[in-house]
Amino acid sequence: MPLHEFDCSKVIPERKQHAVVKGREEDLTSCLPKGYLNTIPGSISERGCAYCGAKHVIGTPMKDVIHISHGPVGCTYDTWQTKRYLSDNNNFQLKYTFASDVKEKHIVFGADKLLKSNIIDAFKAFPDIKRMTVYQTCATALIGDDIEAICDDVMEEMPDVDIFVCNSPGFAGPSQSAGHHKINIAWVNNKVGTVEPEITSDYVINYVGEYNIQGDQEIMQDYFKRMGIQILSTFTGNGSYDDLRGMHRAHLNVLECARSAEYICDELRARYGIPRMDIDGFGFKALAGSLKKIGLFFGIEDRAQAIIDEEVARWQPELDWYKERLKGKKLCLWPGGSKLWHWAHTLEEDLGIRIVSVYTKFGHQGDMEKGISRCSEGALAIDDPNELETLEVMEKLKPDLILTGKRPGEVAKKVRVPYLNAHAYHNGPYKGFEGWVRFARDIYNAIYSPLHQLAFTDISKDDFATDKGFMTRRMISDVDLDDEVKNNTELREYTGGFDSVSKLHDREYPEFESQSAPAAAE
Amino acid sequence: MQETIENKVGDLLSFIMKNSLWQFNSRGWDRRKQSEGVLTKVSELLCDEPVSKETPADKCYYAEAQCVVDGFNKNFPWLKDLSKDEIKALIHQLHERLDYQTIDASLNAELTVKNY
Ligand code: SF4
Repeated sequence: MPLHEFDCSKVIPERKQHAVVKGREEDLTSCLPKGYLNTIPGSISERGCAYCGAKHVIGTPMKDVIHISHGPVGCTYDTWQTKRYLSDNNNFQLKYTFASDVKEKHIVFGADKLLKSNIIDAFKAFPDIKRMTVYQTCATALIGDDIEAICDDVMEEMPDVDIFVCNSPGFAGPSQSAGHHKINIAWVNNKVGTVEPEITSDYVINYVGEYNIQGDQEIMQDYFKRMGIQILSTFTGNGSYDDLRGMHRAHLNVLECARSAEYICDELRARYGIPRMDIDGFGFKALAGSLKKIGLFFGIEDRAQAIIDEEVARWQPELDWYKERLKGKKLCLWPGGSKLWHWAHTLEEDLGIRIVSVYTKFGHQGDMEKGISRCSEGALAIDDPNELETLEVMEKLKPDLILTGKRPGEVAKKVRVPYLNAHAYHNGPYKGFEGWVRFARDIYNAIYSPLHQLAFTDISKDDFATDKGFMTRRMISDVDLDDEVKNNTELREYTGGFDSVSKLHDREYPEFESQSAPAAAE
Repeated sequence: MQETIENKVGDLLSFIMKNSLWQFNSRGWDRRKQSEGVLTKVSELLCDEPVSKETPADKCYYAEAQCVVDGFNKNFPWLKDLSKDEIKALIHQLHERLDYQTIDASLNAELTVKNY
């Protein structure tokens, strides 16, 4: 096994099992790091806790819900507003966060009464919102408050409200991934099947593992609607609580982030016979294949093809403009979980970028299998990295760009390596054909930012020309380009404007004649 | 000749590993079901044989298989020169190597976990 030992982690020998280099003849039988294990003491992990995974990633994107954490206010504060999962109800779930504000005295005397009065207060403060999720945290799990019993009491007193209890305290597993698992299973056990949805199409899906980061869900929803597909629910970006109670009536579960939401798809497959179809919503080729695949399932692949043809014709010249300028750039793909495999091959194929390292903070070995399969030879794959290791990689591999979250991103900036936010995005949405061009534009802007060039000038030491003005991005990126490319009038920079989502709200969708009385998968 | 077939199977396998996701369900038993379901239909489609789309699971395997076949036809033009028997033998070997890599010789310690 081509294990990689970091100089900075020699004092933590167990870390060696968590990094591999993909060599020429390597495949998954010889090249796979360990994963989803407790962080090794001494290694300062970038992971979140299981409560964070349940609430921050999966719970909170549900839009018409009061999200209340039963615990100290710090837990909820750290999971508030740091991810841009938008919603079309004026972002209620992003604007407000709730906590029962547990203090020392409650740890001694119990916090159940406190929780009950806070739940009632929250419903009274927002009388239009009738749904709530209560999240367990470490402190309240340890004192043993019976949250289910409290919520049952409230629901009896307030019959028009419905409450979901998410029992995933921070210590419930090695990382946020444990929380993804727990909330998936709790939702399918307690809420799926408790509402009968209205079926309006012959083709009905749940769109699962999609969190509407900067509008991603709305972009994909547009394609599905153009194909005449009914989206029964989105788990959970821009998703409605009651829609998600009716997930059992879909014909197909279309799954994006398998890391965070495969569990509910697997359970819906086992309990209701709804197949699970994993797709890629990113990248031209991968997205086209995914739309086609969904079309094939329903026998409407011609509708998918029409959308693909239209979108590719509109956006390919703009993607290619960036490709010409990004070819050969080296990139570290360091997201949390699923984007390491969603993006690895598409960035290489669509933009000619070379992925020199992939890492995952909380992914499992299955995510690494996908990531390693999809990236090229020579890539360094790291599980649960610590900050010193990432600094070492940046120093040795000298990437042109890091795609990661904002905490490690700020570390990268300090060593003058540009970064883009892989979790909450810079100027997304990045899904869809137009979104992928926006992503290419952001990558281009980051790599060729004149600021980074200036940052490398040490004004206390270096001589620098005082008679020259700023370089523009274009001056930097086009310096070695062939004239043929420079003068190519077919290619153009992104023309889509600042907001690529609002225009979809006015779109009129085709009416397709129903082929048969809709039947649910049973 | 033997080596050529092995190389060809290797090319098909690399294509699947890079472009598909269905082979990576998180448990070993599930992976075996998926590869059986999809690759059986890949073989049928390549040999112009009827493909069952009766159940929701069948439809899903078919959709995945058709995408694999489209990719194969685009990237490996030599496929159309093979006889049906040769295609079947090729997909059989592909199936064996895929199961070996993703299940039987896999280093993924979670494949044998009982629950999802
Ligand atoms: S680990 Fe526990 S105390 Fe810390 S944020 Fe998570 S739930 Fe709160």
